[in-house]
Amino acid sequence: MGLGTVVAQTIVNGLMVGMIYVLMAIGFTLVFGIMRIVNFAHGEFYMIGAFVFAIVFDSLGVPVAVSILAAVIVVGLSGVVVERAIFRPFTGDELNGMIASLGLALILQNGALLVLGPSPRSVPAIVDGTVSMAGLVFSLSRMTVIGVGAVAILALYLLVVHTQFGRAMRAVAQDPEIALVQGIRPERVYPIAFALGVALAALAGALMAPVLSVSPFIGLTPTLKAFIVVVIGGLGSIPGAVLGGLLLGLIESAAGTFLSAVVADIAQFVIVIAVVLLRPWGLLGKKEREA
Amino acid sequence: MKRHCLAAAIAVLASGGARSETLLLGVNATLSGGGAIWGEGMLGAARAMADRVNEGGGVKIGDKTYTIDLKVYDDRYRPQDAVTAMDRLINDDGVKVVVGPMGSASTVATQARSTEAKVITLTMGFTPKAIGSALPYAFRPTITTTEFTGPQLAWVGAKLSPKRVRALLPNDETGQSVGASQKEAYKAIGVDLQLDFFDRERVDFVPVLTRILSQSDVLEIGGNSPTTAGLIIKQARELGYKGPILVTGGDVTAELVKVSGKQAAEGTYVHLPLDSGYAETAGYIRDFEAKYRKPVNGHNAFSFAGLQMLLEAMKRAGSVSDTTRIAAELEKVSAFPTIVGKAGWTGRERYGIDHQIDVPFYIGQIRDGVAVKVATCSYKSCE
Repeated sequence: MGLGTVVAQTIVNGLMVGMIYVLMAIGFTLVFGIMRIVNFAHGEFYMIGAFVFAIVFDSLGVPVAVSILAAVIVVGLSGVVVERAIFRPFTGDELNGMIASLGLALILQNGALLVLGPSPRSVPAIVDGTVSMAGLVFSLSRMTVIGVGAVAILALYLLVVHTQFGRAMRAVAQDPEIALVQGIRPERVYPIAFALGVALAALAGALMAPVLSVSPFIGLTPTLKAFIVVVIGGLGSIPGAVLGGLLLGLIESAAGTFLSAVVADIAQFVIVIAVVLLRPWGLLGKKEREA
Repeated sequence: MKRHCLAAAIAVLASGGARSETLLLGVNATLSGGGAIWGEGMLGAARAMADRVNEGGGVKIGDKTYTIDLKVYDDRYRPQDAVTAMDRLINDDGVKVVVGPMGSASTVATQARSTEAKVITLTMGFTPKAIGSALPYAFRPTITTTEFTGPQLAWVGAKLSPKRVRALLPNDETGQSVGASQKEAYKAIGVDLQLDFFDRERVDFVPVLTRILSQSDVLEIGGNSPTTAGLIIKQARELGYKGPILVTGGDVTAELVKVSGKQAAEGTYVHLPLDSGYAETAGYIRDFEAKYRKPVNGHNAFSFAGLQMLLEAMKRAGSVSDTTRIAAELEKVSAFPTIVGKAGWTGRERYGIDHQIDVPFYIGQIRDGVAVKVATCSYKSCE
């Protein structure tokens, strides 16, 4: 395999991984930006999305698009319930909200362990086979992840920038009290924003289920990656999450391919430390005004 | 009638014969997280033994009859949690026999406590440090990489004649020790094994596979968890890799195929600790799966075999608490009929003590999702 081929392969691999990080991180940063809650249970919604997809697509034989939609809707609706029942009292209370999210993560993971057991399950590929171009081999399943992820990010961009609800979300994220003065009711925005955030995690889980596998323990790594991405991109910044996610995916892929998997893992934390030291508000985050 | 019942009750109370004592059996294994499949297997074995004994009216040791009660702790695949569990088993529960620890790191971390308390452990830790002359109460009733890698690779070397082999392993105690023994074993068949390590939590192997697949004609992934091995196979096949894949590690077939899918796993060579054609093994698997609705893996079957040998040693020692005598009797158990075959202990040459189980093992090849036996091995050779 020539160097050019390896580089091209590395870029595609990085984009796929990065796309999943972006989907995870956008949901994570959306919830923080609007509700000021660091949701460490975010990865568990990824896990539930993957399970719902696996059951609907693999066990019930429902078409792939409907199965993905089912995962997104089930998790989105559960997000509405979770926001109202657990997180609403902690809105704006970062420390207690974070503790509640850690508790929720443990409950969801162990609940899945009790109900579904520890065994991982394989999910058939959404699209079978590989495509070869000029010595490059791409899994169609992975290419699908990139495509669907890109469409989802575009749709979210349109929602946030060009719709009335998107403007309301941004207003609440900037200042809930001023938003209220403008006639926007934050308590109506919170559940939808939270549902949207966890639905994106569910989409990532559904897309990755056939690529990897599904078990109650798959949520931890995506949560960690989402956290790294939002630190790099800037907590609360959606463009930052996109930039950070793709950057992290590409760096991981390049370091893993040309150096080693261990170096790839070290590299991401070196970058996080560098960002925190040099630009604590992240690459595209906003510097908080000093009192 | 009333008089008869009263007389019978007085007779039972006077003899004390019908009252059974309790034999506490500790379980210190991974029951959540990535290694839960193996730990669940160990717990399943302990539960199956307890149920078998208790449903049969107890086991007679010395002049008493004992039923088995389990004390179970989850180490979450973390050495510090395994130490806490061992402390609780020893100090709070008063356990004298423990099924576990499971992982190599947990095994090493708990050794000082179990040795000092003279607690017999049936460890599944693959590290060569799991048993030794300084650890008189530690027994290992499973076949590790150190035992099977040499004969297995000699067979593979003769069959595949590999020139360039790359191995992917987690960068922890288990991965490092497995890598060292694999490197030595490959060297014996004239191959310089190249090792690549990764963090155990990693799930995307495409970057590293992109680099190494073009530099190898055989991929070695023994020493990984079944989930990880399945993911590596799946992703290697997605990248178009058609060469042989060897899993020179523990029994991983069932879970591996669940993750990779049948198609990707086809042709993979695996270590096969159990011969499902052996009547006792087949019977145990059938009964266990029917009763507990869970699959039997190597950790389950070997833990059960270890418990069979341990109960025999307790009977010979006539005690459930004098662990020095029990350990001495256990060491003498030889050609004992267990569910995995006639078992004894070996290891003095390698570890300085005969605390390593000695049973036959097998090489399998995955065909249509099932490992089919292609060779039978002893610790000396495979045929």
